[in-house]
Amino acid sequence: MSTAALQPVLARPIRRSVRRIGLSAELLPWLYILPAVLAFGVWIYEPLIRAFMLSFYEWNMLPFSPQKWVGTQNYSNIFALQKLWQALGNTAIYVVGLLPMSVAIPLAVAIFTHDLKGRWRNFYRALIFVPMIIAPVVAAAVWRWLLDPQHGILNLALQGLGIAPIDFLGDPNFAIWTIILITGWKLIGFATLILSAANANINPSLIEAARMDGASSWEIVRDIRLPLLSSTALFLVMMTILLGAQWSFTYINVLTAGGPLGSTTNIYYLLWDFGFSSMSVGWSSAAAVVLFVGFSVIAFGLFRMIERYSFYDN
Amino acid sequence: MANLQIANARKSYDNKQVLHGIDLHIEDGTFLVIVGPSGCGKSTLLRMIAGLEDITDGTISIDDEVVNDLEPSARGCAMVFQNYALYPHMSVEQNIGYPLKIAGVSKPERARKVAEAAALLELGDYLDRRPAQLSGGQRQRVAMGRAIVREPRLFLFDEPLSNLDAKLRVQMRIEIKRLHRRLSATSVFVTHDQVEAMTLADKLVVMNAGKVEQVGTPGEIYRAPASAFVAGFLGAPAMNFLPGKVLQQGNLHILPNTEIAVHSQELHQWTGREITIGIRPESLLLGKPSAEGIPAHVDLIEELGGSRVAYCRTDGPEIAVVMHGDLTVREGDRVSIGLLPEHLHFFEKTNGQRLGGGQASQQAQASRAMHVAFN
Repeated sequence: MSTAALQPVLARPIRRSVRRIGLSAELLPWLYILPAVLAFGVWIYEPLIRAFMLSFYEWNMLPFSPQKWVGTQNYSNIFALQKLWQALGNTAIYVVGLLPMSVAIPLAVAIFTHDLKGRWRNFYRALIFVPMIIAPVVAAAVWRWLLDPQHGILNLALQGLGIAPIDFLGDPNFAIWTIILITGWKLIGFATLILSAANANINPSLIEAARMDGASSWEIVRDIRLPLLSSTALFLVMMTILLGAQWSFTYINVLTAGGPLGSTTNIYYLLWDFGFSSMSVGWSSAAAVVLFVGFSVIAFGLFRMIERYSFYDN
Repeated sequence: MANLQIANARKSYDNKQVLHGIDLHIEDGTFLVIVGPSGCGKSTLLRMIAGLEDITDGTISIDDEVVNDLEPSARGCAMVFQNYALYPHMSVEQNIGYPLKIAGVSKPERARKVAEAAALLELGDYLDRRPAQLSGGQRQRVAMGRAIVREPRLFLFDEPLSNLDAKLRVQMRIEIKRLHRRLSATSVFVTHDQVEAMTLADKLVVMNAGKVEQVGTPGEIYRAPASAFVAGFLGAPAMNFLPGKVLQQGNLHILPNTEIAVHSQELHQWTGREITIGIRPESLLLGKPSAEGIPAHVDLIEELGGSRVAYCRTDGPEIAVVMHGDLTVREGDRVSIGLLPEHLHFFEKTNGQRLGGGQASQQAQASRAMHVAFN
């Protein structure tokens, strides 16, 4: 049977059922993507537009209280706040502080454990991935005990070494780095998983070719593995820049509430604080819009870089 | 240039032996082709020569130096991989120049050598491109460039043409042959493609199930295959195998009902034994149905342009016959298949080993007249 003869036979039942429910074939593809469009609309775009609109109003989030148009006043108010600049500065510290744990260490772990075999491979995997599967609030609670200035095991150990106890979460000099370390400890597993997968995906014959070409183990890492992992590493850099401050939110909320003296607050925590502690939705929305625009620009630049460093091996 | 000596080389994975004592000697400048079906161990053997696989037992020597424990780079071999293994993030120039960069060759010297190799392989216009921007044939040439530029003692090719389309494969085959003539470098080429094997090889090794079945020139192996496996593996369409029995005075009874006078001295010692008879499709003749020849009817005809292959049903196994000229035979016709005794190959029925020198090897040039007796 020719294809021409076959086609009407196959197409007829579909057309008939489409006609029965009153849809033309042109509408069908739209029907297929409707669930995704709805989800995006309800959970992403509608809140985005709402936040943009709310950033020009003064409102305390109570359903019956009036929304008062204030123009760009919310924007000028938040930019005048010292707290905002402190939070932005801290956000940068969070990002820079997280990068070693979200990219550099996982990259090294992924590369150097690539050749591990059998029992050791499972052992290291368990070691790395366990933090990833612990619920963040539980992890935060456990860290609070561990870091307790009087009875925490870490301080007991320090005292045993003759070092004065450190208030890891209460000392403004230590608190942000403590939160960064806890966030990073939670992240290493995820980042290692992504980089290990990318590393395992490198065609083994490229490594063999490099061995034949005389490259040493280090030269293979430097000339073959790292360049081929660069797009994945950049992806993780992007995730850290865009989401680093969000990832630390739980630990800030549970362990320090942004303190002491705002030393651990970051832009996400501040947003939340404006909206849900101070109940000033206008400020919160204005900060959110600024953040959205700022991170969009950064994301665009990073996406361009990822494209530039993606090498497709076929 | 170098010679290569493989002595009793064995390879096991988890106590399962995959190579069972390989012995080979390859002289300076020889183009050796290892051919065999998938899983016969040919690529493993090549990778053992390259140093990418450990040698479980035995020795591999290059220029009389045992290289078992040497790193791949220290063996002086260059390898062209099946998937080319070009570094996707490097340009053609960087790919070809990479072994030189690793060896610490100065930039100007490197550029000169890369340009030389690129000119030889007609890649001059593509030096700035990345592998993804090249066609299959160009990638193949870059892979060869990277091998050539090191001036290795030994070239290793691991099925380098199998990813190319049919036309390009023939073209690259010819280029590799020309290149070898020009560089005269000792080369080991692994393939499962019998045409590549026959056309490229100075010396051909046929492997099966981790063992060497036969070593020789392509002509020798084609004319006198050492076993039924070799006979069936080389040649397209494949050799026909018919069950037979050796009668008195070296005559043959081809089952089920054809008798043929061969007068072979060598067959005498096998009198009364059942054997396997091999006949190449191009050594058979089709004729009108007669009392002479094996009676058959034509089941299917394959048109190859220059020739046609008739697949004929007999009372025994199916027989393929290559028809030349304008023989007017159609599917369904009744025919008689004529045998030339000097083109027959004899194999032991049980293990497939060749019996004696075989008629074919001794009398290949003999008269093409029909000497077939029938009953």
